[in-house]
Amino acid sequence: MSKLVRLEIDGKPVEVPAGTLVINAAKTVGIEIPAFCYYDGLTLQGACRMCLVEVEKSPKLVTACTLAAAEGMVVRTQTPQVVQARKAMLEFLLTNHPLDCPVCDKGGECELQDLTFRYGLGESRFLETKVHVPEKQWSAVVYYDAPRCILCYRCVRICKEGMGVSALAVVSRAVDSEIAPNMGDHLYCDECGMCIDICPVGALTSQDYRYQTRPWEMKHVGTICTHCADGCTTTLGVYNNRVIRGNNHDRTGLNGEFLCVKGRYAHDFIAHSERLKCPLMRVDGKLVEVSWSQALAEVAARFGGIRSRGGKFGVIGSTRTTNEENWYLQKFAREGLGTGNIDHHRSGDVISLLSALKGRADALAATSDLYERKAALVIGSDLAQQHPLVAFQLRANWRHHESHIYTVTRGPVREDAYSRLRVRAEAGRELAAAKSLRQALQAEPELLILFGDCVRGAAVHELVEFGDSLGIPVRYICLVDYVNSRGAMDMGLTPGLLPGYQPAAAPGLDLAGMLAAADLDALWVVGANPLKNAALAAERAFVVVQDLFLTETAARADIVLPAACAYEKTGTVTNVCGEVQRLSRAVTTMGAKPDLEIFRSLAARMGLDLGEPETDRVYAEMRRQLPVPAAGEAARGVVASAGDTLFTSGTLGRYCGVLRNVREAPGGLYQ
Amino acid sequence: MPASASDVLKSAAAIAKGMGITFKELMSPTITENYPDEPPKFQERYRGVHVLQRDENGLEKCVACFLCAAACPSNCIYIEAADNTDAVRFSGAERYAKVYNIDYNRCIFCGYCVEACPTDAITHGHGFEVAGYNTSTLIYRKEQMLVPLPPKP
Ligand code: SF4
Ligand code: SF4
Ligand code: SF4
Ligand code: SF4
Ligand code: SF4
Ligand code: FES
Repeated sequence: MSKLVRLEIDGKPVEVPAGTLVINAAKTVGIEIPAFCYYDGLTLQGACRMCLVEVEKSPKLVTACTLAAAEGMVVRTQTPQVVQARKAMLEFLLTNHPLDCPVCDKGGECELQDLTFRYGLGESRFLETKVHVPEKQWSAVVYYDAPRCILCYRCVRICKEGMGVSALAVVSRAVDSEIAPNMGDHLYCDECGMCIDICPVGALTSQDYRYQTRPWEMKHVGTICTHCADGCTTTLGVYNNRVIRGNNHDRTGLNGEFLCVKGRYAHDFIAHSERLKCPLMRVDGKLVEVSWSQALAEVAARFGGIRSRGGKFGVIGSTRTTNEENWYLQKFAREGLGTGNIDHHRSGDVISLLSALKGRADALAATSDLYERKAALVIGSDLAQQHPLVAFQLRANWRHHESHIYTVTRGPVREDAYSRLRVRAEAGRELAAAKSLRQALQAEPELLILFGDCVRGAAVHELVEFGDSLGIPVRYICLVDYVNSRGAMDMGLTPGLLPGYQPAAAPGLDLAGMLAAADLDALWVVGANPLKNAALAAERAFVVVQDLFLTETAARADIVLPAACAYEKTGTVTNVCGEVQRLSRAVTTMGAKPDLEIFRSLAARMGLDLGEPETDRVYAEMRRQLPVPAAGEAARGVVASAGDTLFTSGTLGRYCGVLRNVREAPGGLYQ
Repeated sequence: MPASASDVLKSAAAIAKGMGITFKELMSPTITENYPDEPPKFQERYRGVHVLQRDENGLEKCVACFLCAAACPSNCIYIEAADNTDAVRFSGAERYAKVYNIDYNRCIFCGYCVEACPTDAITHGHGFEVAGYNTSTLIYRKEQMLVPLPPKP
């Protein structure tokens, strides 16, 4: 803890750690110093002069955003001179600012509007015609309206510092100054929209929200992004049962205001025209629309028949359904259908990690560790592409705390630019390469190890041994792909393990085994697309698919049941670090039902009583005692990441117009 | 008691005065409205069914800023906005109201929307015949309120 200094602001005594900026010291006693360019966590700019205050013994007004509090300092924020300076600054900022508020997307949540209202003059002495420059479109996502820009450099800094992309800069001089994109007339970047979100005015706007509605008209629903496993909270703006935008300006959730392109814009799949809204049943070889009761009755009758003659079932679960749904599905399979053949697409070897850790719960990292630990080793993942939030947090840690980052990857990654040591290793040789860093790692006080799908099975045990041998505290993150990949594992969507990694009495077939079993009588696929790159050996099997779209798997099905997406239901999901978070329902799509509701209706029709999902109990158990699955368990099934980039997201990505329309799509890893 | 001559005179004078007023009113123009046989007359500032105005170029003045909807105490204005393209332009600004409904089941003709409008797009007209047997007919769409385009010369 650094030394405290005492100063006085507007007559109020303030005590803050040395080095605190006056603008932040004032906040601690409830005094607002208006500011545009200052932004928590970014470098100081001192560009807007809105934060001018009077400091005793200083001949001129000083910018509070660049002034560190010092012992005995006397600051005044309300003197006539300061009030006059604010009025003048605002009048100046508005010289060429258009009177666009009624049509401006920022209207209603604009910092310039708010501060002008609170501190402005009310009228301007500039009578000259305003300089006008037409609006420009920089990418499928970003628009720039130069006259509205107040040149606060926030977008420039968030892009360079926060994202590590540096796609924006200021060009020209004086009244012609404006922001320019890296490609001259267009942007080539992450399309994350962080610049749009951070812009205090309506200069940067998004394709998605542009001219759609106004902030106060929307219902704002905070829920968890349904794309990657990082678990960002995205606050969806809903108008008329339509998701208009996503952002997280209120900084709720573990991501703060961060969102990548997927959490912010990739929600258009919800209202995609090809969304399934009616159950389909195969009649004479063709899928035709039928009613819910007809479809459910058919599934219940066929499942019942196959069960009573002791037929062979296969059940494939999802990495995007909630924990409650996953729990219910595995119970349905094991008790209702009497089968142990249940699996899902595994993208990281969590099972091996747990078995190697032998119950040491403190060796599992939390999201906050990414920002707080002093060193991190990244093995086999292009974080900026595959785990945008993880990459953002590690970058922030490096910027703010000078943490040490080590990367072992098979190609160039963005982390190279600020990692202390970087090693290139051919695919499959990553672990050996990581071991070559032993000396450097041993010198660190603590370490965070993140590993992708290239470290699996015995290699995970080897990695943990290596970590233990370093003699420093080490925490691990096993990188998995999708929003509830971790939860699918926790809730026992695996052939050999029940919820909470308890051993199953009768282990069944894994995913590949089910597809290859020629004598399979029924295959039930919930929110997955296993037949995209594989064939189903059992040609006569009765296939039931629950999904949002007519995927390759659904096209092979005998019955297709339209499911609701994560933005259309409630429940919990578990992120890559094992943090359990709650979904909120933002919209509803007529005709589609949440998977849990479908399971329940089926159970009722089959006369099964499966009880209520016991996810809370499972997680409480896991927290009390971290489970240790047997070392051989991981061998049941394949671990392979889908290798999604920033602009792909499994099946959902194929139905997101935004992700398909950006120039960077589909992009690639390690470029 | 027989009436005195002065009583007779007084009565005659009163009748003459009364009839004088009657005849005077009989001759002066009538102020009774002949509604529904003839259209009623309104004061300029009468607040009737809204009219959505056009600018001098015939473009819609409404820019879908939602301020009227925000001001409306009975929450009866529903707007869906969209942006103008170079090919199809509805309003002078970047945005226009794709859908603009007022629910006359709920409108209390307070005029707040007219006050709020930054472009003077919405005004009160003099329409008042908003009764119906079916409440759904009382939700007026943009097309019903918009000033018609002048005929092409
Ligand atoms: S940026 Fe703010 S002040 Fe400027 S037109 Fe938009 S809402 Fe109005
Ligand atoms: S575009 Fe926005 S964030 Fe960027 S400098 Fe201009 S006002 Fe600031
Ligand atoms: S980092 Fe992952 S969870 Fe966060 S917004 Fe992007 S896709 Fe969603
Ligand atoms: S007159 Fe009043 S109640 Fe009617 S639409 Fe306007 S604001 Fe609403
Ligand atoms: S009528 Fe006026 S206040 Fe209402 S949306 Fe249109 S421009 Fe805005
Ligand atoms: S906030 Fe201090 S100069 Fe902009």
